[in-house]
Parts: sequence; structure tokens; C-alpha cells
Amino acid sequence: MPESLFRRVIVPVSNTDDAEATTDALAPYVTSAGGVVIAAHVIEKAGGALDKASVEQRERSADEIFEVVADGLANVDIEVETEYLYGTDVAETIIDAAHDLDASAIVFTPRGGSRWLKLLTGDVTTDLVNESDIPVIVLPDTHGGETDE
Amino acid sequence: MSGSDQELARDLGFLEAYTIGLGTMIGAGIFVLPSIAAEQAGPASMVSFFVGGIVSLLAALSLSELATGMPKAGGSYYYVNRALGPFFGSIVGWGMWSGLTFASAFYMIGFGQYLLPGLGQYVGFLAGWGELGITVAALVMAALLTGVNYYGVKETGSLQNVIVLTLVGLIVAFLSLGFISGPTIGEFNPNGWPTVAATVGTVYVTFIGFEVIATSAEEIKNPSRNLPLAMIASVVTPTLMYVGVMFISTGTLSIETLANSDIPVADVATEFMGPIGALAMIVGAVLATVSSANASILSAARVNFAMGRDRILVNWLNEVHERFRTPYRAITATGIITLVLIAIGVGIGTLAEVASFMYLVTYALVHVTVVVLRRADPEAYDPAFQIPSILYPIVPVVGMLACLAVLFQMSVEFVPFALSLGPVELTLPVTPTPVGAIGTVLVAFGIGWYYLYARDRALSESLVGEAIAPEPTAVANSGDHYRVVVPVANPETEQDLLRMAAASAHAHEDENAEVIAVNVIEVPRQTSLSQDLEFEEERVERQQKLLNSARDIAADLDIGLQTRAIVGRDAGSVILDVIEEENADHVLLGWQGTRSRREHVLGSTIDPVVGRASCDATLVKLGAEGERGAGDIMVLAGEGPHAPVAARRASEFVAAADDASLTLLNVQSPEADSEGGSSPTERGEAVIEELAERAGIQDMSYETEVRVAEDTEQTILDAAAGYDTVCVGATRSGAISQAVFGSLPETVGEEVDRTVVMARGPEESAMSVREALLRRLEV
Repeated sequence: MPESLFRRVIVPVSNTDDAEATTDALAPYVTSAGGVVIAAHVIEKAGGALDKASVEQRERSADEIFEVVADGLANVDIEVETEYLYGTDVAETIIDAAHDLDASAIVFTPRGGSRWLKLLTGDVTTDLVNESDIPVIVLPDTHGGETDE
Repeated sequence: MSGSDQELARDLGFLEAYTIGLGTMIGAGIFVLPSIAAEQAGPASMVSFFVGGIVSLLAALSLSELATGMPKAGGSYYYVNRALGPFFGSIVGWGMWSGLTFASAFYMIGFGQYLLPGLGQYVGFLAGWGELGITVAALVMAALLTGVNYYGVKETGSLQNVIVLTLVGLIVAFLSLGFISGPTIGEFNPNGWPTVAATVGTVYVTFIGFEVIATSAEEIKNPSRNLPLAMIASVVTPTLMYVGVMFISTGTLSIETLANSDIPVADVATEFMGPIGALAMIVGAVLATVSSANASILSAARVNFAMGRDRILVNWLNEVHERFRTPYRAITATGIITLVLIAIGVGIGTLAEVASFMYLVTYALVHVTVVVLRRADPEAYDPAFQIPSILYPIVPVVGMLACLAVLFQMSVEFVPFALSLGPVELTLPVTPTPVGAIGTVLVAFGIGWYYLYARDRALSESLVGEAIAPEPTAVANSGDHYRVVVPVANPETEQDLLRMAAASAHAHEDENAEVIAVNVIEVPRQTSLSQDLEFEEERVERQQKLLNSARDIAADLDIGLQTRAIVGRDAGSVILDVIEEENADHVLLGWQGTRSRREHVLGSTIDPVVGRASCDATLVKLGAEGERGAGDIMVLAGEGPHAPVAARRASEFVAAADDASLTLLNVQSPEADSEGGSSPTERGEAVIEELAERAGIQDMSYETEVRVAEDTEQTILDAAAGYDTVCVGATRSGAISQAVFGSLPETVGEEVDRTVVMARGPEESAMSVREALLRRLEV
């Protein structure tokens, strides 16, 4: 029998709402698998130009998000790790980190957003699904109403 | 964050840092300023640019030392605030922010000038819009840039490099072809040296660009080498370029033609590069002004962030957008002010000068900061780059004086100024210029902000005192006063807890007793202590509010109070440390009245403190009804080892209250005594009497009540409802028990809706052997 996909999952979280939705969706699966959850937040770098926000500001914002993840998984008996990731391409950064951290799968809930916004800010969901060579698990957003497509 | 993380976060090498600085420096300045500078000082404005470059170079040296010593977002503001305190921090923070918005507006008007009258020569529909058109173009572009940064539209470093290298190429071509064409300078200095000096102020706006490198110091790779190099290079390169451009401009066109040109560099280029060259310069100027304004808007948001981090500004402004991950509020605020400045028509020269003014104030203080930090030498300050010893303290001293001299020169005109205030006629020897007036108002705003907002909230303390007297201050004398430690966390219970602690303190010593209010901010293990402290604005604000009101309460109670605001991993061990440090006699904690969680009995903080404190420990559950720690007070007079402590606490409360009564209550079982024939009531009275003696309260007036019943616990619970406050001594004696105070006191605490005071004394510390050993090892 192959090892559980939920043995050691990397969970990219982009904001507090995302963190809440993702941990809610994730909790039942990791509870049974008893694995490790690595919550990761990508701090986008401009790669040579000025970043939109200072790194420290983004790290603090990431801490808030991680707190939501920790709260969401507080009642689940699993290990939660947190990682700041830095990179210019969000999807690529997550996939690289998944390799580095020996993740068994990348797990997230889709964030929605209009086509126009995705064009402006990038469509991470599509990139992750298309580019990853590590299993990608997309969990439904149980909160509902978050997606607007 | 770990060291390797830090390296990942750094993605600016020397070239990137240099181009970011250079992009801002040669941005608008080189294309717009020649007209303004030539009008003011003629060809001698070359000297103005050169002097401006020297002033900046001195600032860059000082700033490099600070930035490598403390690479944090916020640049000059951060260092000044850290070293000189929030008063100067407020001035510099607001100064930099307003300087950057004025500069953005200046760049945008420069953009409008090159776009409409400039490109209008080539593109039909852009021509003929006049002044209004320039303003509208500036507004549209400023709004667009604000939007780009609000929505976090991706820009890449390579684009930035291409733009800057193109600009450098264009200017080098302009300079070379210009030199070959043989420019001839007319009268070198038509308006005199004071004007040349004042022009330094006008053109200084162009030199604020290197600050952008400092504001992003945390993003630079190998900062000890790259940061000073990039800063110095991005000051020296444009200085040389400016001097060259002024030389060629004033040598090619007449001063009047230059002064009346909206697009001076393009007009000059037409003379020796033809229309194609001029078009290239116009396109370059459009790119340059946009890149400068963009960098300024982002830097302004970083200043906002740094101010929020130090609590000089509301952190509301620094929220990161949920989706776009940008500091959207700070960017919007900067954008709006920039739009307003463009729309009200301040005038391009004035915009530039105000920005210069604010940065000259900033750099003057930056020089002071270097000296203060070197003298105070705080632990966190360990600059990898230091001003070479041969140049210290010459650089900061001369640099500061130079900044002040330029400031003075640009702020006043040497014309007597008559000021009439009603009957009083004042004649000042000099007249303030509009720039001097606006700049002074902005500095005054910073000072006002400090007094009205920042003073009570700011986190950083000035290091000036330590710079003057670097010896460590003596530890305060800690005599043998009676000390009560009170951890406070809830504003609703704080007052009652402090009052009860004060009652205990007063009973021991009237004059010297002290209450120590402690509040602990607990931070999770994954974050560093300092990081989290700065971040959790609300928690720190709450802590300060709590401790401030503790001070007010203590003043009312006429008791000496110390406050301790602490950030720690674990409140329990922090409180134990405080008890140890202060050599406390008593610790008094509040309890919510619920127990038996999985991991702890009464609470994660209460368990270790009560279990391990070597002094008296009191746990108070404040009642929903009745007077708290006052009114009708009842002591459970049992035979337990800590009943006398409970009685003592009760007597202290009675002594401190105006109108309180004390009752000692004992419950006896109805069975006859095997030893003698005494009735249960007599036995109860005897226990009470003995207790009063053990507690040393036999001289106080108290009531006694003996109840005879089978079910002791239920009787106590019933009896308790008739009193305002119930005091119970700890019953547990062994160390293995699951209870902290014992099951009876804890049941009373949980079940009775009155105020319940559980007390234990020091004589039997409730430590287990293992805990005792651990403690020994810790000390």
C-alpha cells in the first residue's frame, strides 16, 4: 500500500481567510493520517526591483496567517510547522519548497478571484496544478461563497 | 527567522541596489531641474549640484554605517527614532513621508511636462493642452502608479535594470555629443554666490534617491559590502552627470531659453543630436520620472510601516491586503496626498524644495544619530561598515553643519521682514521663503504629532542619555519592604485584585510596602520576542492601558506601585522570575473559577505560580455578587495547615475596608467526641479560638459561627452564600495530589458565586521533589 498522501503535506496559505478555509477542509484528512502539516506563506520578491511591501512587514503578516492555521489545527493531534518562502513566482516557489521539505503532497483550497484579477496578480491555482511534479490535492472550500467564478 | 531564510529574503545585489538608487536619483531631477537651476543661478548651478553631491556623500557615509548596523525597513527614520527617541522620530518619520510625497508630485509634474509639450511635438493629439493638460497628465499617471502598487502588479528587476541602463546610456550620449559640439559658457555666476547656495536646496531633491537603498536595507545581499558601495556609487554617478548636463545645457542654450523650457534636456539635445536625439531624451524622461515616483511611493509606505512598528503611527495604515499582499492603505494615503499636491498647483520648484528641506532635516539628524549610537553603543548595533576612523567624527559633524547651512540658506532671504501684530511691529533681519514656511510647518506638525499622539504610545526610548553617560545605572535599592506581586491581565478584575493586594501590603508596613503589578505578553515559540512585541500592537496597547490604570488605582489606594511589562514565552515562569527577583513576600492572582482542563488544574499560569512560588500565594475568584474582598467576610476555620493564612488575609481585608465584618466559621459533624463529652458546637468554638491565636488575630473583633452537619462540603457551600467574601486555606499537603489548593477550597471557589479567596503560606511550599530539584538547577 502506498504511503498516505497526507503523511507530510505542504499547505500554501495566502491570507487569513484562506488559512481558515484550508485548515477547516484539511483537519479531517490529517487527523486520520496523523501526519505533519507545513503551513507555508510565499513572500513575493520583485527579483531586483523594490518589493511592494518590506520583507519584515510581509513576515509579520505571515505570522498572523500562521496563527490562524495553528488555531484551526489546535484540536488535531498533529505536528504543525511553518515556513516563510521567498520567490518571484509563487507556484514555482511552493513546488521547490515541497521538494526541499520532503512533502508528500501540496494541499490547498482554491482562492477564486475574477479573470481580470488573475491576469493582474497571477493565477497560482492553475500554475500549481500544471507545473507540480508532486501530488497536488485541491480540497473543496467548505465555507462556500468564497469563490466568485 | 533563521540565517538561511534571511539570505533567501535578500534578492538585491550590488547592481540592483545601485540601479534602484540611481533610478530614483537621475529620474526626474536630471530632466527637469536644469531649467529651474539655470534660471536661479546660471552656469554656476553646476557648483550647486556639486555641493549637493558632497552633502549627500557625507550623508551616504553616515547612513551606510547605520544601515549596516541595523538593516531594518524604514531607513533614516528607523535609526533616528531608535537613537534619539520618538520626539525626533516623529519629526523625521513625518518629514521623510511628506518629503517623499512632495517628491512624487514633483516627478509627476515633470512627467506631464515631458509627455505633453514634449511628445506633443511628435504626436499630434498630445500637443496644445497647456498647463491644465500637464496637471491632468500628472494626476492620471500618479493615480495609475498608486493603482499599480495597490494591486501589486508585478514589476521585475530586469525591467528596472533596463530602464536605468537606458537612461545612463542616453545621458552619456548626451554628454559626449554635447562636449564635442563645443559648448560656450556665458557669464558664469550672474546672480551671486548666495543664490548658488540657495540653489543647492532646490536641486537637493534629486539626491534623496539614495535613501531608497537604506529603506530597503533588509533586502540587500551581503549588505556590509553592497550597501555602502551602492549608496556611494549612486551619489557619485549622478553628481558627475548633473554637473556635466548643467555645463552642456548652459553652454548650448541661453539662460532665458533654458528657463522657459518645460523640457530643457530635450531642447538642448535638439541642438546637437537633432530631433531624433531630442525624442530619445523625451522618452527617457518619461520613463525616468515614472520610475522615480514609483520608488518614492513604495519607500513612503515603508516609512509608514516602520512608524507603525514603533507605534508612532496607527498600525491600521500598515495592514497588508488580503489578496494583493500590498500595504494598500499606506500606498493609497501616499497616492492621495500626491494627487492633492499636484492638483493644488504648488509649483514644480516649490515641490522640489520642500522635499529637499525635509530630507536635509532628516540627514542632519542622521549625522547626530551616528555619533549617539557610537557613544551609546547598544548591543544590537554592530555596523559592518564604519566611517573610517580618520574621517570620524569629521563626516557627521561637517555633514550636519552642511545640511543646516543649506537649510538656512533656502529657508530665508536676506531682506528685512516687517511683521506687524496689531500694535507690535517686529522687524526680522530675514524673510522666510515659502519653502522655509512650509518646511517649518511640516516639522511643527511632527512635533505636534509627538505631543498629541506618539508620546504616550511610542516604544523606543532615546539613547541620548546613554551616549552622554554610558555607564550602567545602579540597580535600584531593594530593601526589606513587604512586596506583593499581582499579575494583572483583565481590566475588569484589575481594580479589585490591586485593592486586595494593597490591603495585604498595608497590613504589614504602612510606608514602605509595595505592590508590583505584572503583565506578561505571551508570544508563540516560532516568533522572536522582539518581532512579536513590535507586531502585536493591540496587545502592547492593552498592556500599557492595564498598567497605566494600575498606577491610577495605586495612587487612589495610597500604595507604592511598581509596574513590570514583560514579553515572554510562558507567563507562569515569567511571574515566578519576578517573584524571585523582587524577593516578594506574597503573590496574589485572579482566577476565573473553572478547573479541570486536561493539562492543568486551575490554569496554565496559576498552577506553576501557586505550586512553586516560595512566598505566600493567594488566588482570588471575584464573585458575581456581593462586595469583593470586603463587606461580610467569612473565614473557613478548619484545622488545615493554611487556615491561619486565610484568616490573616481576611483580617487584612477587614482592616483595609471601611465597613466590614469578620466571621470565623467552623463545621462539625454531629457525632459525639470520643475523648470528652463536649458538644460539637463547643468543639467548633475551640477550633476557632485556636485558629485566631495561630493567625494572631485574637485581638480583633470577630463573630463565630459553628454549624453542625453530616455533609461538611455542602454545609460550607450553603453557608458561604450568606457572605460577601469567603477565605479558605489550602488543604492539600502532599505534592502528588491533582489539586493545587486542595479539593475543598477549589470546589468552594468553583461553586460559590461570591468572592472566594484561597490562601496558602510559605511554610509549606507545595513543590514536589522533582520541581524543587529543577528549581535548584535553574537558579
